[in-house]
Amino acid sequence: MTRPSLVERAARAVGRPALAAARATRDLWLVLVGVLAGVIRSYRPGGRRPPGALLEQLYVIGNRSLVFVAVTLGFIGMVMMYQACLQFSRAIGDLSQVGVQFLRLVVSDFGPTLTGMMLATRVGAGIAAEIGSMKVTEQLDALRMSGVLPIDYLLAPRFVASIVMTIALSLVGGAIMYGAGGLTAHLSFGVNPRTFFDPSLVLPRHLVLGLLKAACYGAAIPVVAGFCGLRARGSSEGVGWATTAAVVGSSFAVIAIDFALSVGALWLYGGEL
Amino acid sequence: MTRPYLAFVDVHKAFAGKPVLRGMDLTVAKGEILYIIGTSGVGKSVTIKHLVGFLAVDRGEIWFDGQRLDQLDERAFYPIRRRIGMVFQNATLFDAMTLAENVALPLRKHQRMRQKDALIDARRRLAQVYLADYADRYPAELSDGMRKRAAIARTLTLAPEVVLFDEPTTGLDPVNARRIDRLIRELSRDLGVTAIVVSHDVPSIMAVADRVAFLYQGRVHTVGTPAELAATADPIVAQFIAGRSSGPMETPGF
Repeated sequence: MTRPSLVERAARAVGRPALAAARATRDLWLVLVGVLAGVIRSYRPGGRRPPGALLEQLYVIGNRSLVFVAVTLGFIGMVMMYQACLQFSRAIGDLSQVGVQFLRLVVSDFGPTLTGMMLATRVGAGIAAEIGSMKVTEQLDALRMSGVLPIDYLLAPRFVASIVMTIALSLVGGAIMYGAGGLTAHLSFGVNPRTFFDPSLVLPRHLVLGLLKAACYGAAIPVVAGFCGLRARGSSEGVGWATTAAVVGSSFAVIAIDFALSVGALWLYGGEL
Repeated sequence: MTRPYLAFVDVHKAFAGKPVLRGMDLTVAKGEILYIIGTSGVGKSVTIKHLVGFLAVDRGEIWFDGQRLDQLDERAFYPIRRRIGMVFQNATLFDAMTLAENVALPLRKHQRMRQKDALIDARRRLAQVYLADYADRYPAELSDGMRKRAAIARTLTLAPEVVLFDEPTTGLDPVNARRIDRLIRELSRDLGVTAIVVSHDVPSIMAVADRVAFLYQGRVHTVGTPAELAATADPIVAQFIAGRSSGPMETPGF
């Protein structure tokens, strides 16, 4: 047998990953479509939904992430505000605008995006590990044998709960971040709280953009994590791979959505967001 | 020509380019207990997973009661899964549900039964596998043998015509393994259920099987009664039945 030429080998080296990526994209799309169909099937009037599953997932995704999100965003708010005040005082010596600008950023970007990143790690890993271990132990096949569509049963309630709770946690996390930032600015740099806590520059569109981002992150995390869990193969190693891929994939999805929506909003308002 | 109750016709299946089934032909008669045996990785579980739509053939045909299965999509397999049940190698009970809830699930979903009625029926099924006292326990609280019996009860709730058992006695002690054997025998004798059992357990095969199909190199190498297999002159089958490490059988990886 003749050895393949360099061109042939190069084409194979590029072709295989490209093909795998194309297949993965198609499968991710199918999971998204499947989840949306599952949500409609389960949550339409008279739909057949697993009893109590939505409430349970609201609790698991929302309540159980509250402390994690609050503490993380609180600390990030403090660090960011300390750095901002330091740079502002060195560059222009005026800290009167620091609070109003920070609020605008927290509402339209930092609040939902940092919350989304935190949930991508905690919730994404949890969903992928659970579904992945069910996959490798044939529990998903057992569900199918029992007449249950695994996506309807497992992902539909997580999808709805994740959207609701990412929005709620973004509001709570953003408020804590802003509050912690204000406290830092006051204690470290003597910024007047009345100057800092001034919402005059926040427009309804900032709030709409922030909520839209939170909803999109909430939708993306369970879809990406569920997709990774469903691709788990073999045994514990496969579940480990799925969990890692879910954290990386859903974090990347949050960043990509943030970029796309921010660019879209800037374009919509002619660069004057 | 009447088709057999269940038939695999020239079935091919490969994973990532590696062929597992290479033109497999096999028929199963209604009500019989057929054991599929062979070395690990030869395609025994792969074979039965085609019957419930977990795998799709690359080439070939699968027939069940006059209906061609290899052309069905996922949705079309749902009514088939009411008629063909499967007991998995792991018990595959859902950890968050009690035994009764696990067993009631197929009734609620396939037969749209109310939860209360499904639970009553589930308790009756659990009594059939001697687990009535454990109906409200969670799977984690039970032994492997009990979990396996509960999984069998869950499969039987829909009164399937065919039950596929994927290594039902693997990991069980001899006493529990023989109880599972007895259960398979009773299913066939009392309810007329057709059983296809994937197994390595030679005592179980000899005690329970009506016929045994020996899979080798992606095809059915030999089919016969347990007595015929025990008395075979075929050196490959004889090596497997005797469990000898050396002989003519090619085992990849050794």
